[in-house]
Amino acid sequence: MQIRLENLKRNYGSLHAVDGVSLNIPSNTVYGIIGRSGAGKSTLVRLVSMLERPDEGEVWYGDKRVDNLSKKELIEERRKIGMIFQNFNLFSSRTAAENIAYPMEICRKPKDWIKKRTEELLALVGLEGRGDAAVSTLSGGQKQRIAIARALACEPSILFCDEATSALDPQTTRSILALIKEIQKKMNLTVVMITHQMEVVRDACDRVAVLENGKVVEEGLVNDIFAHPKSAVTKDFLSNLTNVKESIVKLSDKTGHYTLRFSSSTTSEPIISRVTKETGALFNIVAAGVQYIEDKKYGVMVLDIGPDEDTEKKAVDMLRKNGVTVERTVVEEEAK
Amino acid sequence: MNSMIFKLVAESTLQTIEMVFWSTVFSLIMGLPLGVLLHVTDKEDQGGIIPKPVLNEILSRIVNILRSFPFLILMIILMPVARFILGTTIGTRASVVSLSIAAAPFVARVIETSLKEVDPGVIQAAKAMGSTNWQIIVKVMLPEALPSLVSGVTLTIINLIGYSAMAGTIGGGGLGDLAIRYGYQRFRSDVMLAAVIVIIVLVELVQFVGNRISSRLLAKR
Repeated sequence: MQIRLENLKRNYGSLHAVDGVSLNIPSNTVYGIIGRSGAGKSTLVRLVSMLERPDEGEVWYGDKRVDNLSKKELIEERRKIGMIFQNFNLFSSRTAAENIAYPMEICRKPKDWIKKRTEELLALVGLEGRGDAAVSTLSGGQKQRIAIARALACEPSILFCDEATSALDPQTTRSILALIKEIQKKMNLTVVMITHQMEVVRDACDRVAVLENGKVVEEGLVNDIFAHPKSAVTKDFLSNLTNVKESIVKLSDKTGHYTLRFSSSTTSEPIISRVTKETGALFNIVAAGVQYIEDKKYGVMVLDIGPDEDTEKKAVDMLRKNGVTVERTVVEEEAK
Repeated sequence: MNSMIFKLVAESTLQTIEMVFWSTVFSLIMGLPLGVLLHVTDKEDQGGIIPKPVLNEILSRIVNILRSFPFLILMIILMPVARFILGTTIGTRASVVSLSIAAAPFVARVIETSLKEVDPGVIQAAKAMGSTNWQIIVKVMLPEALPSLVSGVTLTIINLIGYSAMAGTIGGGGLGDLAIRYGYQRFRSDVMLAAVIVIIVLVELVQFVGNRISSRLLAKR
């Protein structure tokens, strides 16, 4: 199911939590919405998932407008979506299987049908035989698996993940993301992932929107955004990626003046050498590394360009012409 | 002599148990819906799922007023109600009427407090799945709060044991009645002592059973 947001606005007093967001979330994709805390992510997901009404703007699921539904229609429509949360939000008064059964119970499905479907769902999330477990005896990852099973019980066409991996360790995060991707393909779901972790976007999403101060500052294919980040927020998110830090070898404590990013088409050519030859530029490499996104290779290089400003400018122009993203690093930046 | 005391105490104990049992039942019947109503009509950030500020304010005020009355005065005020329902203001059955009505606002607050402890995230999840408000209350809120509700009911029963002793002083029967009529008015301190000991035992017993049930429920989670 395609989701369309048109100029969504939501204020809390004088705070513009969501300030004119328009997005097109295509059907059958994993769509990331990333932002720092306070950027408006939580409000946005509450608006998109019909938990809250916008002050202005429209939310469309396919051809159906859902932001102005009556109480009864709202309950009907909510039963067609799935949602998982940072804190899992499982019912402690119910066992794992009873948690999964809940959405089917409220839709008044027959008992034996619920039982059969619960078994299927437990198998789908890899927890066969754990149905009778009390929720408190499950690990964080297992709890989120049960929550996923519960969200998928009534075969929704949309799954919202609200910081679904933020309470999990990196390894569990990866396995939960893998599960979500697998289920997305199997059930042709539209998955909307709200997160503050760039790793989640890198590992799971096809497209991403970057949110800042209630506005979308950047939107596009994850590959493109990683290769050519435009906004300061996105760059900041990328520089905080743990994996990038780990794979970049620092050769000096000094920060280079330029950060170069090579996407897959440019990594197979000797661009640096050509630039050196044609412009006479001298490169002093401070740090370098490789990054993989969706099996594609990206090179990252932090360097200074010499010997003079003129050559520097020529070199940058030539690099850009050849498809390399060149960013000027802020000199005051801490050299960690 | 001793057998007479025993008989008197045993009779009064049964009366007290009867009084406390029925007033617990009736105060729950009145207090539970009121407590749920108090919680669900509260402000959204307080966990209310159907915010109704005016209704909430009115209910809250009524509960507070009833709760600030000294119990003995409330009992006397409620005597006409007992007369209206049962035709009498004396005896254990008449006491049950005023005890239940007097305890209902207390029960309502206890229930409300228990429901406020339920994780708001869980309620949000239930809402996101398309639960009706009734389903949220019956299938999520109350079951999630159950261990705490049991503790609340335990507290209510213990309070009612104390109240029932006071009801005894205005002709309500039970251990309080015994303690006043024999212990105080006839200077029988042995009867007084026996009545007090039985009350202490009853309270301890209720507390013990209540704690057990509550911790059993928690252990299963």
